[in-house]
Amino acid sequence: MSEAEAYAYDAEMRKANRAKAVAGRSVIFKIKRCDGPNKPSRWESFKVPIEEGANVISSLNWIAANPVTVDGKKTTPVVWESSCLEEVCGACTMLINGRVRQSCSCLINEYAPREGDVMTLEPMSKFPVIRDLWVDRARLFHNLTRIKAWVPIDGTYNMGPGPKESHDHQQMRYALSECMSCGCCLDACPQFTKQEDESKWDSSFIGAHAISQARYFNEHDTGKQLKADRMDALSGAGGINDCGNAQNCVKVCPKGIPLTESIGAIGRSATIHAIKQFFQGKK
Amino acid sequence: MADEKRADEKRVIVVGGGLAGLAATIRIAEAGMPVDLFSMVPVKRSHSVCAQGGINACNEVARQQGYSEYQHFDETLIGGDFLNDQHPVLEMTNWAPKIIDLLDRMGVPFNRSNEGFRDLRLFGGSLFKRTHFSGATTGQQLLYALDEQTRRFAAEGKVNKKEFWEFLWPIVEGAGENARCVGIVAQDMRTMQIQSFRADAVVMATGGCGLVFGKSTNSVICTGGAASRCYQAGAWYGNAEMIQVHPTAIPGADKCRLMSESARGEGGRVWVPAKKGDTRKPRDIPENERYYILEERYPKYGNLVPRDIATREIFDVCVNEGMGINGTNQVYLDLTHMDPDYLTEKLGGILDIYEKFVGDDPRFTPMRIFPAVHYSMGGLWTTYTPGEYQPDSPISGFKPGDPIPVGNEPGMGMEVGAHNNAMTNITGLYAFGEVNFAYHGATRLGANALLSCIFDGLCNGVSVVNFVREGGHQPVFELDQAVFDAATKQEQDKHDKLLDSTSSGTGDRKLNPYQIAFELGEEMNAASTVVKTGPRLEKCLSKLDELKERYSKVELGDGAMWTNQSLSFTRAVGDMIIIGEAIAKAGLLREESRGSHYRTDFPERNDDKFWKASVAKFNKDSGKSDIEFVDVKAGLVKLRPRDYGKTESNAAPAQKEPVGAS
Amino acid sequence: MSENADSMQTRHFLLRRLHSLTGIVPIGVFLIVHLTTNSTIAWGGLNTRAQSEGFGWMDRAIATFQHEVSFINNMPLLLLIEVTLWSAIGFHSILGVYYAISGKGNTGAYKYSSNFRYALQRITGYFGIFFIFYHVATLRWGWTWLVPGGTQWSHEAASSTFAAAIQGSTDGFTAVGFLVACFYFLGVSALVFHFANGLWTAAITWGITISRPAQKRWGVICAGLGAGLMLMAWASVIGFATLDYEQASAVEKTMHGEQIHLNTDEPTEAVTLTESKEIDG
Repeated sequence: MSEAEAYAYDAEMRKANRAKAVAGRSVIFKIKRCDGPNKPSRWESFKVPIEEGANVISSLNWIAANPVTVDGKKTTPVVWESSCLEEVCGACTMLINGRVRQSCSCLINEYAPREGDVMTLEPMSKFPVIRDLWVDRARLFHNLTRIKAWVPIDGTYNMGPGPKESHDHQQMRYALSECMSCGCCLDACPQFTKQEDESKWDSSFIGAHAISQARYFNEHDTGKQLKADRMDALSGAGGINDCGNAQNCVKVCPKGIPLTESIGAIGRSATIHAIKQFFQGKK
Repeated sequence: MADEKRADEKRVIVVGGGLAGLAATIRIAEAGMPVDLFSMVPVKRSHSVCAQGGINACNEVARQQGYSEYQHFDETLIGGDFLNDQHPVLEMTNWAPKIIDLLDRMGVPFNRSNEGFRDLRLFGGSLFKRTHFSGATTGQQLLYALDEQTRRFAAEGKVNKKEFWEFLWPIVEGAGENARCVGIVAQDMRTMQIQSFRADAVVMATGGCGLVFGKSTNSVICTGGAASRCYQAGAWYGNAEMIQVHPTAIPGADKCRLMSESARGEGGRVWVPAKKGDTRKPRDIPENERYYILEERYPKYGNLVPRDIATREIFDVCVNEGMGINGTNQVYLDLTHMDPDYLTEKLGGILDIYEKFVGDDPRFTPMRIFPAVHYSMGGLWTTYTPGEYQPDSPISGFKPGDPIPVGNEPGMGMEVGAHNNAMTNITGLYAFGEVNFAYHGATRLGANALLSCIFDGLCNGVSVVNFVREGGHQPVFELDQAVFDAATKQEQDKHDKLLDSTSSGTGDRKLNPYQIAFELGEEMNAASTVVKTGPRLEKCLSKLDELKERYSKVELGDGAMWTNQSLSFTRAVGDMIIIGEAIAKAGLLREESRGSHYRTDFPERNDDKFWKASVAKFNKDSGKSDIEFVDVKAGLVKLRPRDYGKTESNAAPAQKEPVGAS
Repeated sequence: MSENADSMQTRHFLLRRLHSLTGIVPIGVFLIVHLTTNSTIAWGGLNTRAQSEGFGWMDRAIATFQHEVSFINNMPLLLLIEVTLWSAIGFHSILGVYYAISGKGNTGAYKYSSNFRYALQRITGYFGIFFIFYHVATLRWGWTWLVPGGTQWSHEAASSTFAAAIQGSTDGFTAVGFLVACFYFLGVSALVFHFANGLWTAAITWGITISRPAQKRWGVICAGLGAGLMLMAWASVIGFATLDYEQASAVEKTMHGEQIHLNTDEPTEAVTLTESKEIDG
């Protein structure tokens, strides 16, 4: 299945599901729960009545107010991370039917159109679980520090406007700027593996998220002053070379960020950086 | 790094990692003052990401068309129906162009013109293009730019980010006029550890309280809990009743999602079928059988009337006239007459949101929208020191092209760096951003929120630094530990009491925190948003009493000692009821209509009695709000009617359309 | 950054890029040459310059192949070429395995074509190593105990001995021989895929293709190259698997005679030749 076909297949399947959704039905939510780090996980199922426009968040809200499993056992409300519910903050990312995505934009009609259909919810697989569906994505933010994801301005005093930028260049940069650090690209990446040992973060694969952000900052006139530092970080262990080109990242990215193009661009920068280092480098 | 804190160092705590909190953090850290930044979520996930449309500032093009910072100021006051504190607004609008420049330098990808300059769009409340934007996710871009700078300071060890920490209580030493904030109590949301933190100044940048109204456009973290806790600790709360309802939101099962005003700014038209109960599909309804609500009622501003007016008219058409689509409370917001490619470039982000959450493509099918609670103009009461501009008599009736009475250099509106700027009535406790009541009066103009948040952080961050360095207060690291331990114990006791309720539960649904929150939202939405009446607000207050009574016996559903989200939510519900009461009570006592506050029993603005800010003070004995009305801090601009040229009223003579402002 | 960490960085980059490079040069280039040579068994009949007197299509193919093999075996510094190639393969394999085990496939959840290619690249890598080892060990190093029928390949009787090796005997398929032929079929397919897909990803790795259309266009070229190589690979395997031992041996003997005539040195008789004589007898 090609990329475009995979998209179309997914979208069409969901659209078809939407069309055949039964009003007034109930859907079973099978949720992988875990009480805390290093505790065993278990599955619990809940039967949730589906109202119009229901999504995974509204269903989890319903469960929070009615925390009783299908077996009639009283349990605790499910814990998950959420904030904006508009798919711009990235908080509510989880595995839904085995695949990573935001839960706020996950319409039940598109996944479970019939009475008794089952939806599974699991925490993201590449980050340590804090509780239930809530994972610790500190590594993802750490990776932004690793590549110095900022524009090194002199200070916040009034010093006039920033560099001028062409319309097309802004459009290119804008596409990259929409990354909300949700971690979908990392969870779907076969090369990005779970790493609970913080001391190994700097040598473990950094993933498409930070690679693309490095490109974003390299493309800014002031931001590129740190390009050499970024390329040093990305040329080493866990950098760009660890990419295996499975290209899942670009397909699961909810913002449609051209991640594989960023990987290619950073690959080129790394090549040039290495040649420059060889012929001009001081070290 | 928290543990490496030097014991003899003055520090600042910033609570909240949205635009205001991050701007303050950057400014304070830059001045060399260590900052502890507390946030319930990783700061990059703060509610500021949701702001779509843009950020207002005077700019060169508009300036040459006759616009000025001063007119931006004037528009903000008219928009706010003159309930704003005038000096801070002047200072803010004067800073605005410089703030845009700074954000530009930080790398915000502002949309560009063909020549490479920053592009501009038209927004509600102005006839000039003065809104800078970055696609349809301006708030996200601005927040990220500040997040990046904060990350840089954190990497340099100047900022200590404490994410997933919930603010529980401001530690206040002394009482009355001598009350001074010396730190906070906070809880790690993962380990549930409650701890006190010392600080020589505390900046609250905790945003709005949309969750008090149940489904709103706010993020789930916008409970208003933090503001409520400061309020209960003695901070005053100003203009609580001023709640902005956004005219165009997408009704949803879990929340109402914002459809940005930029959809109207780029040419979106609001209409309903002219014939009641017309069940045809929107595309099948011919042009002459559509009722373009805003264009017909406000020919001059058309679809770009300020938010409160748009909201009320849409509400009126649906609720009073029953003309909503198929009898529901929904109207069309139509962009289908525009070029789809143009829409994708200018509004791609928000159109995708609609398609994603509703399943229709707004480029080809008109969107269905209805007003929803969006922003709280009210917030913690703050004060300031006025700047150099002190006219002999207030300016009246400013029009484009009139001589500009004041320059745009810093210090005209407020004295920059004065210790008390944006400080609450508690010394050392500041309120920045949405939680600061000062800027937006009775209604906020679109694209002014981002500005006020960043302005607060950048301008008044300096005040915080000066206060800590030069305020002459005893350094907090010298204070006795007992004050801090007492505060920690108070919060630990509250926490333990809630945990205990798990085991002693009766299972009564009425004591379920989610049920109480749901009823609170329904009641507040029905009684205290678009249209208010005295009797309805009184009923609302008694409902709140009932909820409060039930809440006192609330039963927690989760007794876990680790990452107990229910506990955090339940604790916030109690605080939300208290803020809700202040909102409803202030609304009841303000017997007039002004801005977003619309009383059908008092439909006119009453300047004699109510050109005043409502100030709520928490009465610890009764557990309720005492409301006072105090004069608005004006003196720069004279009151005038706010009509935006509605056809029925005796509108002011139409202003000349600015030339070339296409 | 400490000097140590710095050199680690450099080394990491160098190793990774060398891994990518060795896959193309020399391994990929050799693969193309090797498949071109071997597939002459299928198309060598076109070569009318091969000894033609009384020769049919297949005879010419056998002769062409033998000619190519002999040419290669008479190249100067052959050992150096071989050692270079072996070390490149060894380097590429060892690092490849090390890199591959650092990832964790997830085609179950994410059924995208590129993800399957990612998984297949690793599977074909493992399988390819196994296949190349068998191929070289049995044919070059003479580990005949791994060959059904114990046939030892000889570069002087290239077609016939190879046919016998993958058919399992000198007179047609044995059951085990059939399996060996299948193994060859899969092995060459895997290597061709691995090379073509590797060529596609290498362009991203080195930053040659960046935009999606560019990646797509290069993908078409790599797929075309892969298809061509695949045809040659299959043609080679099928060609040898269906080759008649007797016919090949006869042609080789004719050529052999000529070679003896040209070379003053004593011909070294290969074991297989002796064996086949015995069979003949």
